[in-house]
Amino acid sequence: MTFITISRESGSFGEEIALKLAESLNIPLISRSVVMSDWFPEIADKHELHMLSESPRFYLTNSKLDITFAAYLEQRLRDVVARQSVIIFGLGSQIIFANHPEAIHVKIMASTETRLNRLRRIHRLGHEDARRMLQLTDRKHKRYVSTIYNQDWSDLSHYHLVLNTDLLSIDESVSLLRFAFENKHTLTEAAESEEDKTAKAVVFKNDSEQEFAKILDMYGLEWEYEPHTFPIEWDSEGNITLAFSPDFYLPRFKTYIELTTMNQKYVSEKKKKMKKLKELYPGININMVFKSDFHALMKRFGLQKGTDV
Amino acid sequence: MKEAGIGRIVFTQEQIQKQVSEMAQALSRDYAGKNPILIGILKGSFYFMSDLTRYMTIPVSIDFLSIGVYPEVTKKTGIVRFNKELDLSITGRHVLLVEDIVGTGLTLSYICQHMEAFKPASLKICTLLDNPSERLLAINIDYRCFIMPDVFLVGYGLDYEQRYRNLPYIAAYQPEKQD
Repeated sequence: MTFITISRESGSFGEEIALKLAESLNIPLISRSVVMSDWFPEIADKHELHMLSESPRFYLTNSKLDITFAAYLEQRLRDVVARQSVIIFGLGSQIIFANHPEAIHVKIMASTETRLNRLRRIHRLGHEDARRMLQLTDRKHKRYVSTIYNQDWSDLSHYHLVLNTDLLSIDESVSLLRFAFENKHTLTEAAESEEDKTAKAVVFKNDSEQEFAKILDMYGLEWEYEPHTFPIEWDSEGNITLAFSPDFYLPRFKTYIELTTMNQKYVSEKKKKMKKLKELYPGININMVFKSDFHALMKRFGLQKGTDV
Repeated sequence: MKEAGIGRIVFTQEQIQKQVSEMAQALSRDYAGKNPILIGILKGSFYFMSDLTRYMTIPVSIDFLSIGVYPEVTKKTGIVRFNKELDLSITGRHVLLVEDIVGTGLTLSYICQHMEAFKPASLKICTLLDNPSERLLAINIDYRCFIMPDVFLVGYGLDYEQRYRNLPYIAAYQPEKQD
C-alpha cells in the first residue's frame, strides 16, 4: 500500500501538514505519540517508557522480546505499511523504508529566519530563546536518526520531495502531497495490473515452447519464460554483441531449459552458445532438450484419460 | 517368452537379482533402526519393490503410489494427479521412493513436491534404472541399480503398451512397424 513518511524541521509546519494530510486522505497518522501511548507499553515498563521518551540510545537496548526497541518499532511499522496506507511522522521512517517501492519520503523545511519567527509567535518566546529551542529540537531529530541508523537526517537524498514552507502554505503543501500520494497509488496499481496481464499472456516464439509449457503445467511446476538474458560476447568497447536467453527457468530447481527443435544448423549454433554460457557463468544449471527428446516427450504425453506417466 | 519386437537381453535375471540384493544390503545398513517406509511408484516398480524389500534384513513399512494424467475441463492438456494416494502417514518417517526409471525427473519432482508437504524425517530416492542424459531437473538419486542404455526397454516391470512387464529380465524392444 502507498504510504508517506514525513520528516520535518522544527517550525516548518511539518506537524500541521501531516495532520491535515492524514485527515484529507482519511488514513492514519503514526507519530511518536502513537508509538509511546499504544505500541511501546506492550513491551516496556514505566522506567523503559521514560527512557524511550528521553534517550535515542535507549532504543538500541534489548526489550523483553529479546530484540531492541528500535527493531520492535521497525517491525511494527513494517506490519502497518504491509496492511494499509498510512502517514508516518518522523521515527526514522525515511531510513527504515529507504527504497521501499510504495513509499514517498517527504521533508518539510523552511529557512531559519522563518522558523524562528514562527516559534517566537507560537510559543511567545524571545529571539534568543526561540533560537535555542530551534537548535535543541533540530539536534534531537538529527541525533535520533544518527544514533539508531547512523544516517544524516539533513541529507536531502533520503527524500523524494522537499517542500519549503517559506514559499508554500499548509494547504498548498497538503494539496501537493495529496496529489503525489494519489499519483503513486494509481501508478502502482496500474503497474501491478500490467504485470498480471504480462504474466498471463506469454507469447511463445514457437509451438514447441508452448507444448513444453503445457507439460510443465501438467506437473504443477512453476516456470518462467525467457526471464533472463545472459551476455556472452562483447566487442572491444565492452558493448554486448551476443546474448543468450534460455527458453524456460524453473525457480524451484534453479534450472534453465533450452528447447532445440529446429534443424541441425541452428542446433550447432545453440550448442556453441550453451558452451560459452557455461564457461562464462559456471554456476548455471542449464539443460537442452533436443528434437528427438522433445518428440519422445510429446509421444509420452500423447495423453488419454488415466494414462500412467 | 519370446515375441516379435523383443531384442537382446540387456540385463539378465542374475544381473538384476545381484544388483537388487546388493542395494538391499546397502539400504539395510543405511536405514538400520529407522523403520523406513518404502514407497513404490506403480506400476513399473512392482517387481523391483517386491525383490528389494524381500532382500532387506531390517523391518520396513511398504506403501504404493500411482499417478496418472487426467483431462482438465479448462485445458487442452491434462493434469497430473494421484490415481492412488498413500495409505500410511509419512510425517516424521524416513521415506524411500522406489522408482523403475528416472528420466526427465518431471514425475519424480511432482511426487517429491507432494511428499515434502507431509514433512517426512527424510526423503530419498532409489531407482532400478537411471537415465541421467534425459534429465531436465536437478534431482539427487541416492541409490541406483543400473544406468539406462539408449534403447527402449521392457521386462522386470517395464512395459510396452502394458505388456512384457512379467519378463524376469530386461530386454531391448523395437516396436513392430505398422503399415
